[in-house]
Amino acid sequence: MVKSMRESTSDKLFLAANYLYLALALIVVLYPLIYIVSASISTPKFVNSGEMWLLPKGLTLDGYKLVFSNPKIWNGYGNTLLYTVVGTLLNLAVTLPAAYALSRSDFVGRNFFMAMFLVTMFFNGGLIPLYLTVKNLGLINSIGALILPVAASVWNIIVARTFFHSTIPKELQEAAHMDGCTNLRLFFQIVLPLSAPIIAVMALFYGVSHWNSYFPALIYLNDEMKYPLQMVLRQILVLQEMSAETTGAAISGDIAQAMNNKAEIASLVKYAVIIVSTLPIVALYPFLQRYFVQGVMIGSVKG
Amino acid sequence: MNSKGQQALRTPPLRASGGIVKRMMQNWELYLFMLPAFVYFAVFHYGPMYGIQIAFKNFIPSKGVFGSEWVGFQHFERFFNSHYFWDLLWNTLSISFYELALGFPLPIILALAFNEISNGYFKKSVQTITYAPHFISIVVMTGMIISFLSPSSGMLIRGLEALGIDAPQFLNDPAWFKTVYVISGVWQNTGWGTIIYLAALSAVDPQQHEAAIMDGASRFKRMLHINLPTIIPTITILLILNTGNILGVGYEKILLLQNSLNLESSDVISTFVYRTGLVSAQYSFSTAVGLFNSIVNALMLITVNQIAKRTSATSLW
Amino acid sequence: MQNKKKGAAVLLSAALVAGLLAGCGTSNDKAKEEAEVEVVVAKEGLPIVNEQISLTLTAPDVGIQNWKDMDVLKEMEKRTNIKMVFNNAPKESFDTKKNLIFSSGEYPDVFYAAGLTPAEQMNYGEQGILIPLEDLIENYAPNVKKVLEDNPEVRKSITAPDGHIYSLPVIEFNQPWYRNPMWYNGDFLKALGYDKLPETTEELYTYLKRVKEEDPNKNGAADEVPLSSVNLRDIRTWLLGAYGIYEEEIYVDDSDVVHYTPVEDGYKEYLIFLNRLWTEDLLDHETFSQTAEQKKAKAQNNQVALFSDWNAYMTLGGEPSMDDPMFLPVKSEKVDKAVIAKSKGVTTGAFAISKTNAYPEASMRWVDYIYGYEGAMLFNKGPEGVLWEYTDRDSLTKKYLPVPGGGDREDYRATLTPNYGIPAPTISIPEIQLGLTTEFDEWVMNESKTKLLDKGSRIPYPTLFLTAEEQAEVTTLTSDLTTYVRQMEAKFITGADTFDNWEKYVATVTKMGGDRMSEIYQAAYDRWKQS
Repeated sequence: MVKSMRESTSDKLFLAANYLYLALALIVVLYPLIYIVSASISTPKFVNSGEMWLLPKGLTLDGYKLVFSNPKIWNGYGNTLLYTVVGTLLNLAVTLPAAYALSRSDFVGRNFFMAMFLVTMFFNGGLIPLYLTVKNLGLINSIGALILPVAASVWNIIVARTFFHSTIPKELQEAAHMDGCTNLRLFFQIVLPLSAPIIAVMALFYGVSHWNSYFPALIYLNDEMKYPLQMVLRQILVLQEMSAETTGAAISGDIAQAMNNKAEIASLVKYAVIIVSTLPIVALYPFLQRYFVQGVMIGSVKG
Repeated sequence: MNSKGQQALRTPPLRASGGIVKRMMQNWELYLFMLPAFVYFAVFHYGPMYGIQIAFKNFIPSKGVFGSEWVGFQHFERFFNSHYFWDLLWNTLSISFYELALGFPLPIILALAFNEISNGYFKKSVQTITYAPHFISIVVMTGMIISFLSPSSGMLIRGLEALGIDAPQFLNDPAWFKTVYVISGVWQNTGWGTIIYLAALSAVDPQQHEAAIMDGASRFKRMLHINLPTIIPTITILLILNTGNILGVGYEKILLLQNSLNLESSDVISTFVYRTGLVSAQYSFSTAVGLFNSIVNALMLITVNQIAKRTSATSLW
Repeated sequence: MQNKKKGAAVLLSAALVAGLLAGCGTSNDKAKEEAEVEVVVAKEGLPIVNEQISLTLTAPDVGIQNWKDMDVLKEMEKRTNIKMVFNNAPKESFDTKKNLIFSSGEYPDVFYAAGLTPAEQMNYGEQGILIPLEDLIENYAPNVKKVLEDNPEVRKSITAPDGHIYSLPVIEFNQPWYRNPMWYNGDFLKALGYDKLPETTEELYTYLKRVKEEDPNKNGAADEVPLSSVNLRDIRTWLLGAYGIYEEEIYVDDSDVVHYTPVEDGYKEYLIFLNRLWTEDLLDHETFSQTAEQKKAKAQNNQVALFSDWNAYMTLGGEPSMDDPMFLPVKSEKVDKAVIAKSKGVTTGAFAISKTNAYPEASMRWVDYIYGYEGAMLFNKGPEGVLWEYTDRDSLTKKYLPVPGGGDREDYRATLTPNYGIPAPTISIPEIQLGLTTEFDEWVMNESKTKLLDKGSRIPYPTLFLTAEEQAEVTTLTSDLTTYVRQMEAKFITGADTFDNWEKYVATVTKMGGDRMSEIYQAAYDRWKQS
């Protein structure tokens, strides 16, 4: 991090080992990723038989064609974007103030709130009562059903609390109070600007969970036009994989045949779907990264 | 600054030592801060919590939670009396601990390593690439594992054979199941796990580093004595939270890797519940097992938190 | 920044409060109001009602086409004068959704293709949520009535222990397979000079052995996989037949005695046979770990001699071929002839009517239409003139038309009719296929006839209801039993455990309740037989 004037030999050695370690990690992780990309554009036969092991074999774009030929896909992208942005803003609005309050040792009742939240990590009433709650609130088939029941996560509140706890200097708060600064101003004008890293992390954690979420949509949404991307993609996948269920019971030969026609594509689509659904969120990461190195400010504020 | 800050947290500052009411009045805005979260947990968690009682009932959807008949501990007895109860418990616990032992330290090490290199193209790409596997769906992930480890066509097997190593039956041998499960999980989530530590590392005080360099401390020493202590609170909290999920091994990935041959080491509580639930929608039974899990998990968390409280400056409460 | 954050928090609480209030005022008595208008339900003929009525319908949706835009359902509305309002749920979450519907107390008028389990039918029937259908069938369902009269065992199979019928079934008598058949790779047979298929387990063994050793794919490498399977589920039933066992779990023998397969001597013989195949590398060593795709990849690489699938070409690749013969069930020395399982043909729980339905008679007539030739034709193949047309209306002979816009016929059919990939209430009538079958279809049917039906295949155990107590006990028992049995099967076959431990295994199964399984199913069978 800090550029020193001159690196000693042991430092150089350490750095070299460090680079080696990271390079190794890179290779280990990279291989399966390349495999997925290659598999998504290879003829499935070669993938299943193991003949395709690194570079694409029997180039085909059928998987992507099938995914993008679905008329619901762009609509799904739009919905997911909306749910993710609105949902994440709500998450931050609920999580950050609560986490900050819990991090304050002079906050009377923080153990009560902490206990209240922790209990929900372990005990929940199950799907049916939750469904009835959502239904009684009139949220069925609305964005509310997707974001309100997951407005905060205890885990994330605790992680954020820990961050505030260990990075916001106590002196800062006392100085602010001495100056007659209210908690409201303290939080919005001092604490939040100093906490870019944790805000970024929280936004990422919550955002990713909204992005990947499909179960609430499955349960609470009736209108196909409101389906998020993951639902649309699952429908494509489920449709392709129905063949697996046709073994047994009285299912017609027509369907077995239709499924067989698609069996080829089914294994292809699996990989294409991964790429289509995760590329945007993987591409987002480098932009969030820069917030992780802003902690330098704390030192300067303190001084 | 850090250690001092934490000490201050543990003993209330003098300023606030007045009456409780006075302290509450002083910080009234903090209650406002809590309000949204409070309402959320009350409505969406405590509201539906009455559903837990179906663990002691024979739940029939149309009769509702309150209308279904009480059966006492029947579902718990059924679970405890299962032929496989001890196997399930052992498999679940051992997979959890295995995962914790391997999967917990690695993100920390990786985050520290990232932190040592300067911001540049290399750092950005390594970080992004190691983070990407987190998004691979379980179906694709297990599909890859099975194809890489296939004795007839698997990449990994052929690689080992090329090195003259007689490859074990990774997928069929019960002795290998947990390793396959845990290592693939580590592969998938280590990069993702670094994020939280990277954020925590951003709080390192540069002045401390400058002072240490003056004293002639090596990079390695500074990493050990400055960077690591900065993230210790985060590490502790995450460790506590993780142990609070010790019986929470999920079923999806295991189910897809499970087969008749590795069953004795791959069957865990969640897969057992899943299988039982498949036969008919057994809400009561799965709620009962879930309740058992929760109690064990909660006890674990309380214990570990107590230990943390005694031995370090950080704990949940 | 500051205001925005605070604003969001305020918004949230406001939304929550508003939601709470909104939740209080809703109550609904709409269903009954509509019944005010005088509606006459015709006992026969179309349309069914004089005034258009509207019913809500809940079904699993595969997500290809919005149901209200399906030609078949639009046509049905025109013919019957009954407007269906669809309240569907995605197929993959349908079971969850079904439970939520019953929990919330807001029922649709009819359940379509809902796959109601016997337990659900009994529970909800007993509580009056699903209404009994016998009288409606008697008076408003001539087609269903006729089917039940012609096939008394179907009536027995769909009647709950309390004597009521709560759901109509899917009836499929033309499909005789209990499991997908097994198929031989014809090229291998030819290469090894076989013009007669193996008829005994020994002959089968010899054939598989020769496949392994004589390189029938002529690539110079001993890479043949004589018998391939995914988890044995696909081949188990076919091989058990060689030892006089009809099914992998429960079957009734010719003298009405119910057996629990995993403790039978015949089952042990089956294990010994497969163990022999495994030891000599004739059974794919990836049987327990491979995916269906991996199995197919091997077959398409021309390595596999015997396997299971709907049709052989689906595994081997290429076009439908009559050169790959269906597996002829083999027999062991222990039995006089191989026993063969036949499809049950009846799946209950396909259609039900709820108590909130204001027009049960009209609903029954609506669904009954699908059990007749015209309706079945409409729902199975779509309206006339889209994908098919009559070549001879009198003999009901038809031909396929080119698919509009090209593309796959099944894909197009899925946009026309709801009966695609879901257990919809219907009956397969032989006339439906008249003129629409290919030469290959005829050949497959003939293979089934000569190798299975003519050899005396029969249903291993009838479709029937267990009582609630029996169902609960079976559920409890099987969760452990199945795990143990499957695990030991794999161990015996792969040699991880030896047959010296067979007695111990049987004792464990019995201790875990294996004998209760046969007792329970025996009692249920006896009741069914007498009813």
